[in-house]
Amino acid sequence: MSLFDKFEKNAVLYNSLSAIGKNPFAVVMEEVLGPTRAKIKGRETVLAGTHNYLGQTFEKSAIEAAKAALDREGTGTTGSRFANGTFSGHKKLERDIADFLGLKHCVVFSTGYTANLGAIAGLINPAEDVVLVDADCHACIYDGCALAGAETIRFRHNDPESLDKRLGRLDPKFKGKLVCIEGMYSMYGDIAPVKEFVEVAHRHGAYLLVDEAHSFGVYGETGKGVSEAEGVMDEIDFYTGTFSKALAAIGGFVASNHPQAEYLRFSSRPYQFTASPSPATIASAGAALKNIKEHPEIAAKLWANANRLHAALTQYGLKLASKPAPVISVLLPTKEDAFAAWNFLLENGVYVNMAIPPGTPGKESLLRLAVSSAHTNEDIDRLVAAYGALAEAFPSAKVTAAAS
Amino acid sequence: MAGVENSGIQADDDLVYRRICSLLEPLNQKGVKLTRDVDLVADLEVDSVSVLDIVMDIEDYYDISIPVNTISETKTIGQLVDAIHAIKGQQG
Repeated sequence: MSLFDKFEKNAVLYNSLSAIGKNPFAVVMEEVLGPTRAKIKGRETVLAGTHNYLGQTFEKSAIEAAKAALDREGTGTTGSRFANGTFSGHKKLERDIADFLGLKHCVVFSTGYTANLGAIAGLINPAEDVVLVDADCHACIYDGCALAGAETIRFRHNDPESLDKRLGRLDPKFKGKLVCIEGMYSMYGDIAPVKEFVEVAHRHGAYLLVDEAHSFGVYGETGKGVSEAEGVMDEIDFYTGTFSKALAAIGGFVASNHPQAEYLRFSSRPYQFTASPSPATIASAGAALKNIKEHPEIAAKLWANANRLHAALTQYGLKLASKPAPVISVLLPTKEDAFAAWNFLLENGVYVNMAIPPGTPGKESLLRLAVSSAHTNEDIDRLVAAYGALAEAFPSAKVTAAAS
Repeated sequence: MAGVENSGIQADDDLVYRRICSLLEPLNQKGVKLTRDVDLVADLEVDSVSVLDIVMDIEDYYDISIPVNTISETKTIGQLVDAIHAIKGQQG
């Protein structure tokens, strides 16, 4: 039975938490009641652990577009983008995303995960290229490097000088150099100094890929992401994103001003060997994109909610990972504290995400609150009340506890 | 450097080995006696990201770059030390 031995250590924890109904990794949304509400364990719960940043899951125009696509084109494409799975809707969405971002080319993938996998593995020749990755980059970027079989060098998180040093001492044998960062990092909600990274990468003749999965639609004057906020949309080489957060569908994309980005269609196995997004998925993503483009007040509402929640949690003395952002994480010293605090919030009618090392950037565990523009004042009141109770019940979550 | 076992002549003089042991010591919660043969994950229960973080300290100290691929191929402290020596020889 040696095939299963590796599971044993984590299975003990997983099964014991499941047995008492307190496993954060086995939550079921029993009934979805709206963009920010669902029934969990029979109780109506405020959802603050989704990535529905712009509240588009129930956007009327998106639901109508998806229904029309279902009626018109059926339930699935039954094939990959490379073969029979490219419909006119896929091409239109690629043009719409490129137009929204002000970039010339866009390639749509089936998920955000496969978009990064496909970008890195499609661009890199392991015999002659190298990838440099921010220490806190998402698993899909590391998995993309593994799929590419590329030599992969990690630099310190959000530290352009650390990248500069590593680019500077690279063996001249490497022909192509790709640097991967994210716009907003999803664990702490901290953002990258993209402009500085552009300068360092280009000075060394490297290309820069920015994964804006969590920042698309959210950062920048017109919602293009942190690269827009930093004023370097025209300078980054590859922009990757997802439909599963701000656009509330599923799918991903790689956008670029380099015409060669189109060649990912035949160089990228994650493009070629998995089925394309269904017509309804493509239609709802396109309608949500149109909606957020026409209604900048949606992102403004998200920021108002984020600022209000961040201020309230700060006032409670909770130890927060970053300045106000659509992700607001409370740091806890141990995973035992995190499990207990996560369950405490759920029992108070609030669902957030929980993360423990090594899935977190530091040695601490965290509770991750993801803000939505669809959070109502009543939702926010409930969130604030639950976190207030948390601050009283868990002194270890407070700044004063951390300092002592 | 309490708890660090210097196994053999090579290790005794090996500054890379000593540096790795001193970086591992704070993570050595079970108080395992550190030798070249200690498996980082199985014996010390250090997670893969912590190993990468330790390697980053080594990289900056010696001004070398150690690919993630190289680290994932090493299991024991000794293998990690040897991998760093090999790269120091090439880049240093």
